This record gives sequence, structure tokens and C-alpha cells, in this order.
Amino acid sequence: MGGTYTDAVFIHDNHIQRTAKVLTRSKDLVETIIEAFDRLNIPDEQSLNQITVSTTLVTNAILQNRIPPVQLLLFSGSGMRIDALPWPVSYLELSGEMDFRGREIEPPDQSEWGKLLTPNLHENPALVAVIGKFSHRNSLHEEQLSTYLRGINPSLSIALGHVWGQANFYRRSLTTYLNLSVSNLYHNFAQELQSAISARKIQAPISILKADGGIIPISKLRPIESIYSGPAASILAALTQKELTASSIVVDIGGTTTDIGLVLSGVPLLSSNGAQIGPYSTLVRTLAVRSIPVGGDSAIRATDHGFVLESYRLGPAYCLGGNIPTPTDAMRYLGLIDYGNERLAEEALASISMERRTPEFLHELATAIIDAVAEKIAVAVDSLKREWQEEPAYKVWEVLHPHEDRAFNTLVSGGGARGMTTALEKRLRTPVQLGVFPEVSNALGAAMARPTFDCTLHLDTYMKRYRVEETGEQGKWSGSLRPYLEVEGFLDTLAQQQAAIYAINIDDVEKDPFDFFPIVHGYKTVGQIIRGAVHLRSGVIGRIQV
Amino acid sequence: MKRTGILFFPAFDWSLGDSHPEREERLLYTQEQLFEEGILDLPQIKQYSPRVASLHEGLRAQALFPSPEVHTDSLDAPLIAAGSAILLGEARVRGDIANGFVLARPPGHHSGATVWGNRGFCTLNNEAVLVNHLRARFGIKKIAIVDTDVHHGDGTQDIFYHDPNVLFISMHQDGRTIFPGSGFINEKGGPNAWDQTLNIPLPPGTGDEGYHYVLENWVLPRLQAFAPDLIINSAGQDNHFTDPLAAMNLTANGYGRITELLRPDLAVLEGGYSIEGALPYVNLAIILALAGEDYHHVREPKKLDRPVLSLAALKPYLEELKKQHQTITPRFTIQSKAFFPKGNWIYSPRSVYYDTEGFQETRHDYIRECGHCAGTVYIESSRSQSPQKSMLVRIPFHACSDCEQAGYDLWEHLQHHSEDSKSGLLQNQLHDKLTVWNRKEGLKEF
Repeated sequence: MGGTYTDAVFIHDNHIQRTAKVLTRSKDLVETIIEAFDRLNIPDEQSLNQITVSTTLVTNAILQNRIPPVQLLLFSGSGMRIDALPWPVSYLELSGEMDFRGREIEPPDQSEWGKLLTPNLHENPALVAVIGKFSHRNSLHEEQLSTYLRGINPSLSIALGHVWGQANFYRRSLTTYLNLSVSNLYHNFAQELQSAISARKIQAPISILKADGGIIPISKLRPIESIYSGPAASILAALTQKELTASSIVVDIGGTTTDIGLVLSGVPLLSSNGAQIGPYSTLVRTLAVRSIPVGGDSAIRATDHGFVLESYRLGPAYCLGGNIPTPTDAMRYLGLIDYGNERLAEEALASISMERRTPEFLHELATAIIDAVAEKIAVAVDSLKREWQEEPAYKVWEVLHPHEDRAFNTLVSGGGARGMTTALEKRLRTPVQLGVFPEVSNALGAAMARPTFDCTLHLDTYMKRYRVEETGEQGKWSGSLRPYLEVEGFLDTLAQQQAAIYAINIDDVEKDPFDFFPIVHGYKTVGQIIRGAVHLRSGVIGRIQV
Repeated sequence: MKRTGILFFPAFDWSLGDSHPEREERLLYTQEQLFEEGILDLPQIKQYSPRVASLHEGLRAQALFPSPEVHTDSLDAPLIAAGSAILLGEARVRGDIANGFVLARPPGHHSGATVWGNRGFCTLNNEAVLVNHLRARFGIKKIAIVDTDVHHGDGTQDIFYHDPNVLFISMHQDGRTIFPGSGFINEKGGPNAWDQTLNIPLPPGTGDEGYHYVLENWVLPRLQAFAPDLIINSAGQDNHFTDPLAAMNLTANGYGRITELLRPDLAVLEGGYSIEGALPYVNLAIILALAGEDYHHVREPKKLDRPVLSLAALKPYLEELKKQHQTITPRFTIQSKAFFPKGNWIYSPRSVYYDTEGFQETRHDYIRECGHCAGTVYIESSRSQSPQKSMLVRIPFHACSDCEQAGYDLWEHLQHHSEDSKSGLLQNQLHDKLTVWNRKEGLKEF
């Protein structure tokens, strides 16, 4: 689902059977989805195995600021001043502090709760997010305040920060805030979509695509994780057209925006930071994608020395009935695409240069315009490669085994793709291939996506506590102080339990090597901190047969 | 925007031994604290990823004896820490950042001009490797190193003792009460660099107030007089009142203030082994101070409950120390060997103890007195119970032609006429050429 169009694709046995494209009605996304679905004319709807949806519902609600406010309560503790970072929402700071091992430094002050909170919280419906610094190590204060608040008003919607179990108090707070704020909107959407599908007697489970390129059952999604699934879908679409182990640069050229991603030996690159959406920094895992404001419809403005490629669109290309020259006109003039009026394309180019209108010159100008688009794309590709190569390293082994530059190929898709292949091949110095069904690549990627799964354990055998990053689960460790095989089994069990909730098969899961940190008091080893994780990286269920 | 670079390299897979203070766990809680605070989300913070220093870069500052090859197996982590210092130093010199913090393990300031192994947890001297890199590659002339680790930065002092273009200042707990037992007021520099080394030993118990007083009234004026192009802070964190190996009484806030007063171009982590009680908070305070953020809200959980030496008690001590410092005059022994090129050669013998492995290094240092440059240095060094010597010949940056020639003559003699020498390094800083000689294998360029 995009801002302007919504694509749909029907796939059977890795063969694309039908595709459809409808206008997105932003007021009624469920109806848009159903309309696209209907356009596919699927012969035997009831026998569908799987429906996957990638939606802009949450992304747009946040970016257009259509989300209800949440009362944000923070156990901010000492350390960096909280206002050193830009908070896009207001918050209330409460006393009570934990440290990095999850030890209580200062208990909360209950009399403060009474004074500060009670007046606001009798209203309905009220959304309250409670986040403590180091709550991912110990959720006690969050739980205590939650119990207290429920006592005041049982109908409050309360979200606690520790369920986003990664470090970063600031991002954890904003992630908890956003997820709670969009939850009503999402649940209404999910319910409506589920009933519309059920009404057609379709039993196929519905999944939603996440920012990390994985799918998850519609009822299990944490709504904020559905942001930016569009760019993720573009990258997955490329995976359906490549060998399993290829390394690719994926370029999806739209009308006004081009999305660029990297696939390394068959695995899309994950961003080392959480997603940024509008003014909000989050902990949402996302594929590393560069979105740059350039595309087939980018406006071209004449200047004294030639032309400028603007970062905005002023309607369609001149050759397609618009008022302003665009890269599409250049492509048409050079015969790289076959749609649009050839004479209008020439007129568009001529309008850039009043004096010289020889065919040689217009040819040169058109080439320069396309090269300018390729240049902008190449700059973004380089920046993405740099992000990958300069990923922070915290171990000797990692520094001694850096990411090696590998042979990339490039896959282009999207409306502007066809006219750009040659220019990109020249500029990126890689073989460039045009994707199949470039106009419905988003739907294709979503349809072929498989689940992702991560289970990251943090175990402190001295404190006898363990935590799971992805779920925020915190529990007591009763095993040995220096476990070895025991901790492997423990992580396996945790992962199996968690996977069962999402009905994910994790047989061929990838395991990170464990990090062992001996805890020493005096000169005696008294325990260990152990970090380990298993992953199911984003990928697709098969190759598309053409 | 004034940007602050951070290079965080905690070496989570490296230790000097299971329960050694320099172990995997050392920066684990610092990572927890920094990441939880969202330090990397501060718009002015830029994170850099580490790189490995080359042996060439290491040998520019230090001789690895008996040969670099002997050390290669144990150099991985030290070369990454040194390379990280170089990387961030280059970012500073290029103007990509206004200042930076090399938060890397292992430390380096006890590692000197000649290296036979690890001492005081250090194998390579990160600051020295950085400083000589910036001079060789960027032509930086005057650099000041201010060592605020609780231990005397004896390795750094050793490397730059004869160098008039590097001002070395070390504030530390009095060497009579703590490792390495040096850093007294009379150690003021070699004949060509007299007064370019300043040691300020402080009595155990000195706290924030006293420390800041010394900085403001002694260190900063000295820095200002030197007017360096670059200030590097060897930022050890073991002055903290919770440190298990020392007896000073500084707080995390106190460290923030040190950073604010010194305004270093680059801070480089040295020691500090209160890995839970101090490091997460001290590191945070240092970063905030570098980034121009308020650090006063940083608070370590444990309260300072030891008696702090009052400023009133410290002041007379400091006055006496300053008086001593002013009255000490250079007293050098002129002594040369038969084969030495012409000139006045100042001789000083030295003995260096390697605590990690428990052996002694015996050194005979000779420096050519020179009114034009830093002077050629000739060092004979041997490890206890080994009769064979390794030599370092250093032709300094900006060497005059006489000193340059003296260096070549010594190097020549070493290879062809010296019976008891086993190996050597020609550290030609003037032309950035590093040549290792070995009796068995001959010459090799690095």
C-alpha cells in the first residue's frame, strides 16, 4: 500500500497469476485493500493459504499527527539530563531509580504519585505510558506504578516500557508512547479487515509486514512495528528474483521517491539503529533503507548554467500531459521508455535551453538529466555501503574480520526503473537487472515475505535474573553460576516458547555465539553475565518463476 | 555544530586473564549506561568504528624488543586501541569533530620507548602512537599530553622525555604510595627538553576541590604558556573514590569538571578499575562535558564516605612542591662510548620492572645534547637474565643534520661492529622510516 496506489498480486506455486493496482483511499484503507483484492479475480478464494498486507496505516497516522496524546510518566533517574535529547511529546518525571544491573538505587516516592497524578487520570479514555531508566533490567517500578494506577482507574490503558527490552531509555519511552497511541487505530483496522475477509468465508490467516521485512499474524503485531513496511517490501521483492546467496543493491524508483537497500549474501541489511519516524526515535527494528527525494517525476528547473534536478514533483511528466520537464521526458526522448508523447518530450527538453535546440544538444541534455538522477542514487548507495562497512565493532574478532567489499549486482524496480538501467550500470559499475513486474513490486515482496524471529537473552547469574529483549520477559535464574551448555538449552527453550506464540517454525534458526563476561569481586569469579541470541533473518519463501 | 566523536571499543572478547582487572567486563557497564542514556542519539555525537594500527605506526613511537615478530600474537587488542586513537585523532585534525573520546581497551600509558612485554596492563602507548602519527602525517608541531590517571604516566614520559615539542604533564597519586613508583617533581625532562615534563604528585585522599585547584593554578597556566596545537588527555578514571587500586577521592562530577577545565581535543581512556561504581558514571560525565552538555546530574550510587583531604591542608603541600620545582636545576652526566659520533652525550641508566610477567629491563640511555633539535637518542636495552642487547636509535622529528648523521653512524656501528647486540630499531622520525635489524635476519623495513 502506497500513498497514491495500492498494489495487489496473486501468487500460486511461485508463479504470479494476476496483478492489480487501485487508487489508495486514505480515509478507508480496508475498503482499498478489499477493492484491490477483488480486482485480482482470484478463482477459488477459499483455497488461499495466506494473505499478507503491508499497510501505511500507522506510518501515515504518525506522520500526519493523527494520533491521540498519551500521558508519559518517566522514572528518569540521574545521569544525563533528560532534556539533553529532543522530546517531541511532554512527560512527567518521577523519583525512583534502578542501575544497569537492575538493582534499586532509590525506591519510588508514592506520595509524589498521589499529588502529581490523580487529577488527570479519572478521565476516560486515558492512555498512560510508564517507562523507567533501566526498566529493561528490572521492571519493578513500572509494575508498581501500574498497579497503583489501576487502583485509581481500572479502565486506563497502561503500557509499560520494559516490554521493549533493548537499552535506550529515550527510544524505549517514545516507542512505548507511539505503540500505545496507535493501538486503537490499528486494532480497529485489524478487526475490520479480518471481518471483511471472514465474511468471504476465507480461512487463510492474515499477516502484516513489519519494518524488518518479516511477517506476523495480524492479531500478534505490536502496531508500531508495521511502520516502513513499504521499503522493506521493495527489498524483499528483489530477493524473489535473485539467487539465494547474491549480494545486491536494490533500487526502487518511484515518481518522487527512490528507496535503496542492500542485500548481503541473500540477507537484507538491518539498520543498526531503530527506526526514526517524524520526530520520534524508536527501537523498532528496520531494514537499512535510504529514501531519497528523486524519481521519474522530479521537477527540472532551467538555470543559467543548465538545469537543476529538484527534490519535489509538480505533477506528471510533460510528455504525459504535465507542465514541467522531468527525467521521464528525458527517458522518452532517448527512447528508453515507450510511453508518453515523443514530441512533447522534445518540447520539454527544449524548454530547458532556449537558445540551443539541435538534436545533438537535446540528446546530450537528456543524457545529463538521467546521469544526474543516477548520481543521486549512487551517492545514497555509497552512504548505505558505508553504514554497513562502518558498523561499530566491540570485539577484537570483529575488527580483525571486517566486512569485505563484495561483488554486487543491482536490481531496479518501480515506475522509473526501465529508463534508468543503462545509466545506473555505468555509474554503479555493477550489472543492472530490471525487476519483473516492477509496477507491483511492493505487493510481490509482501506476498513472498516470511516471518522474522529474534530472541536475545541477557543472563546475570550473580543477580540470578534473566531478560529477553524482544518480549521484555524478566525472570529468575536458578541454574549454575557459570553455566555453559545449560545456557544454550535455556535459550533454546525460551526461543521455542516465544516462537510457539507466533506459530513460527524456528528449526533453521541462526545462533549468535554467546558472549561470556566473568563477574569478578576482588580476584574471585562470582558469576557471569551472558549474552546470546537466535535469529530468523528476513527473507522470502521462494523464487518467482517467470 | 560542535561535534564530539566517540570511539567505543570495549574489547568484549579480550582480557589479560580471567580475574584480571583488565578483563572483558571492564567496559560492560559503561556500555549499558551510555546506551541506556541514549548518548549516541545526541545530535552532536558521532560514533566511529575502530581500526587496527600498523606496526609502522606503532614503531614510530616505540621499539618492540627483541623484535616486533615476537610480540605479534599479543598485539591484536593493543593495535586496535592504538589504531582507534589514530582514527579519532585524524578526525579531530581534519576538523570533522571538535573533540573526541577514545573509549578503548587496553590502556597504554605505562608502555615506554622500549617494550619487552606488558607492564601496568599496557603493551602499546596509545597516546604516543597517536601523537607521532599526527606529527608525521599532518605536520602538527606542538602537542600537550595531560595525564589524569591516578598512576604516573611513566611510559608516556619516557617516550617524550627528550622532546621539546611535546609537553607532558602528569597529575597522580604520590609515587611513594602507588605503582609505578615514579613521577616525582624532579623529573623535568632531558637536556634538550628541560621543563617539558611536569609531574605533580598528590597526596592520597585528594578530592575534587584539591584536584581542580591544581589544574587551575598550575596545569592550565603551564599549558597556556606552551600554547600547544593539540591537547590530549590521558583520561584514567582511577582517581575515583571507589577505585580498588588507588586512594584518591574524586567523583564522577569531579571528572566532568576536569574535562571542562582541560578542554582536551582528545581524551583517551587509561586506567580505572571500579568497573561498576565509577566507570559508567565517570565515562558518562566525561562524554557530557566534551559534548557541552550538563554533567551535574550524573551521580554514582555510592556516596563518598572517606575523609577528603581539605584544600587548606593541600595548599601548603603544593606551595612547597612548587618551590622545589622552581629550584631544581638540570644536572646531567656527560658520558659517551668510544664509537659515539662527536658531541656531548648525556647518559642516564634506567631499570624498568614489568609487573605483568615479572621481569626487569635494564637500560642505558644516551642523548646527544643539541641546541637545534630534539637530539639523537641511543638506547641499549636488555631483559633480565639475557646477556644480549637490543638497541633503539632515534633520529627525532625536525632533526638537525648533525643529529641525523649521528643517528646513521650509530645505526651503522650497531650492525657491523657491535658484538653483543642482537637486534635494533632505527626510528627515523625525520623521514618517517622505521628499520628493524636482527643479527640473524638482517634489515627489514616496517
